[in-house]
Amino acid sequence: MGQEIVIHVPNIRVGTKNDACDAVGGEETVVIGSYLSISGDITGHVMLLFPEPRALECVDLMMGQAPGTTTEPDEMACSAISELGNIVGSAFVNALADHLNLVLHPSPPQVLHDMAIALVETVYAEVLSQGGDVVMMDAVFEDQKGRTAGLLIVAPDPASLGALERVAA
Amino acid sequence: MTTVTAEARRISVGIGQLAVSRDAREVLVAYGLGSCVGISCYDPEAKVAALAHVLLPSSDGKRADDREPARFADTGIDLLLQRLAEAGAVKRRLIVKVAGGAAVLGAANAEKFKIGVRNAEAITERLKHHGIRVAAADLGGTKGRTMEVHVATGRTFVRTAASPASEL
Repeated sequence: MGQEIVIHVPNIRVGTKNDACDAVGGEETVVIGSYLSISGDITGHVMLLFPEPRALECVDLMMGQAPGTTTEPDEMACSAISELGNIVGSAFVNALADHLNLVLHPSPPQVLHDMAIALVETVYAEVLSQGGDVVMMDAVFEDQKGRTAGLLIVAPDPASLGALERVAA
Repeated sequence: MTTVTAEARRISVGIGQLAVSRDAREVLVAYGLGSCVGISCYDPEAKVAALAHVLLPSSDGKRADDREPARFADTGIDLLLQRLAEAGAVKRRLIVKVAGGAAVLGAANAEKFKIGVRNAEAITERLKHHGIRVAAADLGGTKGRTMEVHVATGRTFVRTAASPASEL
């Protein structure tokens, strides 16, 4: 596409589901994104979420179209976002595996188009139901205007927290 | 369609929370129910409404976290009914509606994520244990829901990201 897209990650933090909900925006925020689960030496959940208007802008960038061309989250838009989620999510999982010398497998991505809180709360419920601590790491991508362009949420399963601590030490 | 007057105050009922109100200006709202289930209650005589936002099916004997008193279906419903009684509601008059319990991470992951279904079952079971029949339900599917109950009328509405509010 010949266009450089700089992803600026102003912060990555370890927080709670409330932090993750706040980071995606208000209670009514609708997002497009993708979900993948991690299996292998550790298990967990990875979600890449874009507020709907930002997602549509991403689609235009990816398709080489003028910004504003995509106005509806149609099948093509969701498919493009899913592909983006696959690239970023897999890159993240691979980087983690390389860095910590672990064998990790990302699942195929699932396209998401829903209320942000419904998605975050479902991952929270899943991790919490296994007992133990819920750790949700989130990284907010901002564009050059400082708006939230996207959000990466990573939640390891409780049984994997110990393994993560050991290899990271 | 929902009619909210300009003075209506929207009270957000977050994950694991519950709210009881007798204030006719209030609308109790549970935003973005995914695998969670919202339970709305209304006593038309006492004009008391309540909304709970339940996260998990069973406490397994654990004490509920004070920050999330309605986290579990069993202890959450017990507390909800207790708070309603304290506010003057009578159990046999309650109109109880439930919504949520979806598999929002997609049909492909639904086998793995059964919490939505388990929540819905646990809630129906616990209400039955208290002798309460569910008047209306909007459960399952793959889409998140926002549920609200209007204290003035007891009317309950559900909407998704793709569809406008409809009365439950």
